[in-house]
Amino acid sequence: MSECIVITSGKGGVGKTTTTANLGVALAQQGHTVAVVDADIGLRNLDVILGLENRIVYDLVHVIEGECRLKQGLIKDKRLDGLSLLPAAQTRDKNAVTPDQMRKLVAELKEHFDYVLVDCPAGIEQGFKNAVAGADKAIIVTTPEVSAIRDADRIIGMVEAAELPEPQLIINRFRAKMVQSGDMMNKEDILEILAIPLLGVVPDHEDIIVSANRGVPVAFDDESLVGEAYRRIGRRLGGEPDVPLLDLTVDDGLWTTIKRWMGLAPAREVAR
Amino acid sequence: MRDLFNRFFGGPKTVGKSKEEAKQRLKFLLIHDQVDLTPAQLDTMKAEILEVIAKYVEIDQDGTEFKLEKEEDCIALVSSIPVRRVVERPASPPPAGVTPAPA
Repeated sequence: MSECIVITSGKGGVGKTTTTANLGVALAQQGHTVAVVDADIGLRNLDVILGLENRIVYDLVHVIEGECRLKQGLIKDKRLDGLSLLPAAQTRDKNAVTPDQMRKLVAELKEHFDYVLVDCPAGIEQGFKNAVAGADKAIIVTTPEVSAIRDADRIIGMVEAAELPEPQLIINRFRAKMVQSGDMMNKEDILEILAIPLLGVVPDHEDIIVSANRGVPVAFDDESLVGEAYRRIGRRLGGEPDVPLLDLTVDDGLWTTIKRWMGLAPAREVAR
Repeated sequence: MRDLFNRFFGGPKTVGKSKEEAKQRLKFLLIHDQVDLTPAQLDTMKAEILEVIAKYVEIDQDGTEFKLEKEEDCIALVSSIPVRRVVERPASPPPAGVTPAPA
């Protein structure tokens, strides 16, 4: 049975598009067929994160308006069997599409793919309403910051109002060292406030910037810790809910370990 | 010398624990987002509630506390109002709509 998942956050710049791209890759690596859909009409970016921007001929609005068939609008990722992108239109705006049209589009995509991942635009207006229209469930992306969590709380309410089931949370840009020193909210702090189930924690890392520069999602990189975080989230999403989260404990070095023995350093804080 | 000591052994730092501030600010924000009342409106509400209570009992105005707290599924207005003594008032209740107490 196929499923449509919308990736949303309320606030912009917390990593929705990066998350969508990497979860698409992670699910396809497990052998699922996946369509990633860029619902950010007018500000398309998912194509760039995936490195597929040079292959766009048609887009989501063309498909919806019947100017091309769905198959023509989809771009197959040649690096990975089973992954396809439906890009957003760049020269139109959010009002070019209605929730009903999105629902119909998603229904058609679900006939061909195991997973349909919709990258939701920031904000709570028309773009959000379009993106959640055809979704079966939602993933909320947030960062450990006051503003991002505040917006996530608002979006959780809107997801519930749209009659979707309880969403799951991905905490992005997690910095274990700052959590350890008490300068960043930890996993438990955030879950206490948002009160939804945790799907995964993704560490803040330079790999993300390098992968965006190259157009190669970090989930392709077997050596990368961030890539591993996304692969695990993909497995939890794709039918293995018991896969443990990545251990993001800081590697302290000898000095801190000795200090901890002597009671001079705080206890370790683990984000599992 | 102290600097050197701190460098090696990690003495008191100026950073740290700002997450508690973040958490408290967030909790306050989320409650106020949900209630959708401005701080000024909350102050007015508090003053009006105290005014009503003061008709019946003498209260310690400075010792009162009003807080919005997030419970399981709802927002609760939690208040603590110290009572000094009961105000003397007529035996029978006044007719409805008459004699609003002076502020």
